[in-house]
Amino acid sequence: MNNENEGIKTEDISSIEDDSQPATTTTSPAPSSENGKGAIIQLEEGKSIDDTLISLLKTGLDKGSFDAVLMPVKVPAGDSFTYLLIRDRSVLDTIPASPLPPIMSVQGAKAISSLTRIENGDLTIAAVMRSCETRAAIELSKLRQANLENMVLISIDCPGAIPLSEFIAVPEKSAEVFQKARSDRDDSVMRPICRVCNKSSMIAGDLHIGTLGAETGSFFIIPNSVKGQEVLDGLNLDAQESISGWHLNANEISEEKQKKRIDANKELKETVGGIDNLTDAFSQCINCHNCMRVCPLCYCQQCYFDSDRMKHPPEDYLQRAESKDSLRFPPDTILFHIGRMMHMTLYCVSCGACEDACPMSIPVSQIYGMVAQDTQELFGYVPGKDPQELRPLATFIETELGEVEE
Amino acid sequence: MSNTIEDQEPEFRPKILAFLCNWCSYAGADLAGVSRLQMPADFRNIRVMCSGRVNPLFLMKAYLSGADGVLVAGCHPGDCHYATGNYKARRRFALAKQVLESLGLDSDRIMLSWISASEGPRYAEVNTEFVKKISKLGANSTKTEMFL
Amino acid sequence: MSKVLELKKGTEDGVRDVLKFLLESGKVKCIFSLKRISGNGSAIAYSLITKPEEIDDTVPLFPLMPVNAANLLSQFTFKGPSPEPVAAVVKPCELRAFVELVKRQKGYLDNILIISPTCGGVYPNTMVADPNGDEKAEVDLDKLQAKYWDSIKQYEIPGEIRPTCSSCEQFIPYNADITVDFIGNGNLGQECRLYLNTTKAEEFVQGVDGSILNNEQDIRTDEINNYQKKREEFKNNRYNELELDDIGLEGLVNLFGKCIGCRGCRAVCPICYCQLCTFDSQNSNYKPSTWENDLKRKGGVRVPPNTVYYHILRLTHIGISCVGCGACEDVCPVNIPISSIFKKMGEAIQDKFDYVSGKNPEEEVPLKIFELEELTEVED
Repeated sequence: MNNENEGIKTEDISSIEDDSQPATTTTSPAPSSENGKGAIIQLEEGKSIDDTLISLLKTGLDKGSFDAVLMPVKVPAGDSFTYLLIRDRSVLDTIPASPLPPIMSVQGAKAISSLTRIENGDLTIAAVMRSCETRAAIELSKLRQANLENMVLISIDCPGAIPLSEFIAVPEKSAEVFQKARSDRDDSVMRPICRVCNKSSMIAGDLHIGTLGAETGSFFIIPNSVKGQEVLDGLNLDAQESISGWHLNANEISEEKQKKRIDANKELKETVGGIDNLTDAFSQCINCHNCMRVCPLCYCQQCYFDSDRMKHPPEDYLQRAESKDSLRFPPDTILFHIGRMMHMTLYCVSCGACEDACPMSIPVSQIYGMVAQDTQELFGYVPGKDPQELRPLATFIETELGEVEE
Repeated sequence: MSNTIEDQEPEFRPKILAFLCNWCSYAGADLAGVSRLQMPADFRNIRVMCSGRVNPLFLMKAYLSGADGVLVAGCHPGDCHYATGNYKARRRFALAKQVLESLGLDSDRIMLSWISASEGPRYAEVNTEFVKKISKLGANSTKTEMFL
Repeated sequence: MSKVLELKKGTEDGVRDVLKFLLESGKVKCIFSLKRISGNGSAIAYSLITKPEEIDDTVPLFPLMPVNAANLLSQFTFKGPSPEPVAAVVKPCELRAFVELVKRQKGYLDNILIISPTCGGVYPNTMVADPNGDEKAEVDLDKLQAKYWDSIKQYEIPGEIRPTCSSCEQFIPYNADITVDFIGNGNLGQECRLYLNTTKAEEFVQGVDGSILNNEQDIRTDEINNYQKKREEFKNNRYNELELDDIGLEGLVNLFGKCIGCRGCRAVCPICYCQLCTFDSQNSNYKPSTWENDLKRKGGVRVPPNTVYYHILRLTHIGISCVGCGACEDVCPVNIPISSIFKKMGEAIQDKFDYVSGKNPEEEVPLKIFELEELTEVED
């Protein structure tokens, strides 16, 4: 054990996991989307999908299917959204809630982690968020940073999100733009990372709200676990309808997006690939580390790159300055980014929180996403897909990766 | 007896957190108790070794968590068991009070008092007066604020 | 009153000349200054420079503060004072912040020759990173500087600089060895005037191609005093606009409602030096019983917690030393006017203790010291 380290490296955790502890969602996937069955919900009279969903959540609270709901709501000043943990159903009557807000202000997985990082709570919580947030939560539970035992994770078909800075500048207009884009299935106004997301309808949690391929005036609720099924039972929802309509549509969109993603990444590799281009891409980085702090998968309480290990005596800096034309200060900008990639690229869900938080408008999530595509492919790993699946660095096969051996 | 709590009991019973230093204020509180002095029962006393141990963080967190009042009590200046703890406490307290004041939050809800080990009646007085003051201010609105 | 060194060159060229001279003569080993770095045409960053020819690419007086230099000087001298003489060109608030860090043993002033201009303020980083909301656009830095200089020459506050800069009354550096005559210098393009405030300064510039004026001069003139009043007026207007006089709990919830908890403000703040902030530590890892109780009482709780608490506590921790640099407001992804809030409250806190942050390196931070009798108004 390396005692000088400030944070716990993921490799250290893997050594604790030698007996192959799975994530803390103890339910095994049950009627999955592949069986093609779910519930069809008719929209309430004159109500939108969002409002009908909120009604359902209220019913769930009333019936005790869950004790609390965690979902985005509008903040009192009306200029943004945040997660609210709601126990009292009357709160849902007074505060405008939004299962799919125009922005991703806080990554939902971070919200979940802040509740159950230490241990499981007593209350059952239905957490409604975008699929990338659900997947990040599942990854965090594998990393012992969240306990999902009493969480019912509900994801929803995601049209994307508006860039945070654009929304903040004109909140009302942006909200309108988003709603229209959502109903028109137009992602040109969404963040670049959303435009190439092939997992916007990926089912990972306990329940999934399927809006694609549903008849007008209805949507699907698809159970993905025993827990999810139990909630539907408790709400007296018959989950025996065919969801092939949703399935077809979702697959089609996913394949289309995947093509887009591959193309975009190829192009990006040309633009930022190589040390010169990469340095250029990050030339305006001010090392604020916002990207790291908002990232759900960067869970270290003290980042390695903020620790004493990165603080050197002045002699060292002077020597480095002498060996080059000049030394940009603070140094090691690229080291931070490549290092952060090393630590979390296998778990990156391409949620885009990093790019939203960057004050210098650097396409962080696109660059990290490009690298994540390759590294995750190398191990055939999809973060958040399977709570039982061990992380690639926590396990090994005796004969593998021959291509890197010499 | 017209001074009993039952006679004067207001509807609202404040929740007041009191940080009492081990050597003086806490002993003074003990003495007040042992002397059977009548005081309201709204203080939640926390013994700290010195008023200088009280981090302004405690005051802020207590205030934001819904405490109706927070008291910091220590030895009289010059009498600190650790020589200088209470002088530092005084500055930190002044800082915390200024922050609350500048932000338009109820800076009246926090109070600093010097109570020595032999001052049972003084403790009872501080207790009673502070409870009265806080009761007048009413419940801390942070108790119901969801978006803190 | 200081001796004044005059160079027959534009102000920025003159400063560059001095920096080059310091390196070539071996009087300093290294220069710390803003520099145009290769890459995106608008990229400017602080750099450590040991080669005189690289000085040509420096822009020591450019109106930008990508990072508060106090953070950098602190990182540079974290493990000990500079072993070799170094000259640093920094803005007055960066210098004040560094002095505050030095008082907390987070850096050393030794062996650093400080050069600082009377400061006209800096542009927000978005000016070069995301001009007009277009991150791909390149900014003509020369044009931007020319526009800025036009205002400075005439004792005007340039438009579009950080609001907190427009509100700053402490634009004359304290503790600089050399002060660059900037604000109100009508001949910025042809003339460079450097106030030599210390004997150290006079020694270091001996040999520079320029002339020392006959009379000592005071950088504080009537025009400067009037200019300061302009800044004060802007400040008061800004505070009124933001309704900072009596914020209250509801006001705080509204002001900080859109905070996403990125902690960027903390990261860039020169005074926030804790390596592990209480909000990242075990102190802020709550057991479910904590929020379950809160939830029972309120019916709903914001998650993650501590949005308002974090800001109030950070203010409590750093208000005594806040220099009003505006780095926090600049880095905030959701444009909360943090600096204006912290500056106002910080001023009130500093007034309470009769303290001006960063002014006197010998003066202890008020919380480290005490008087036997004081502050009776807070005792009850």
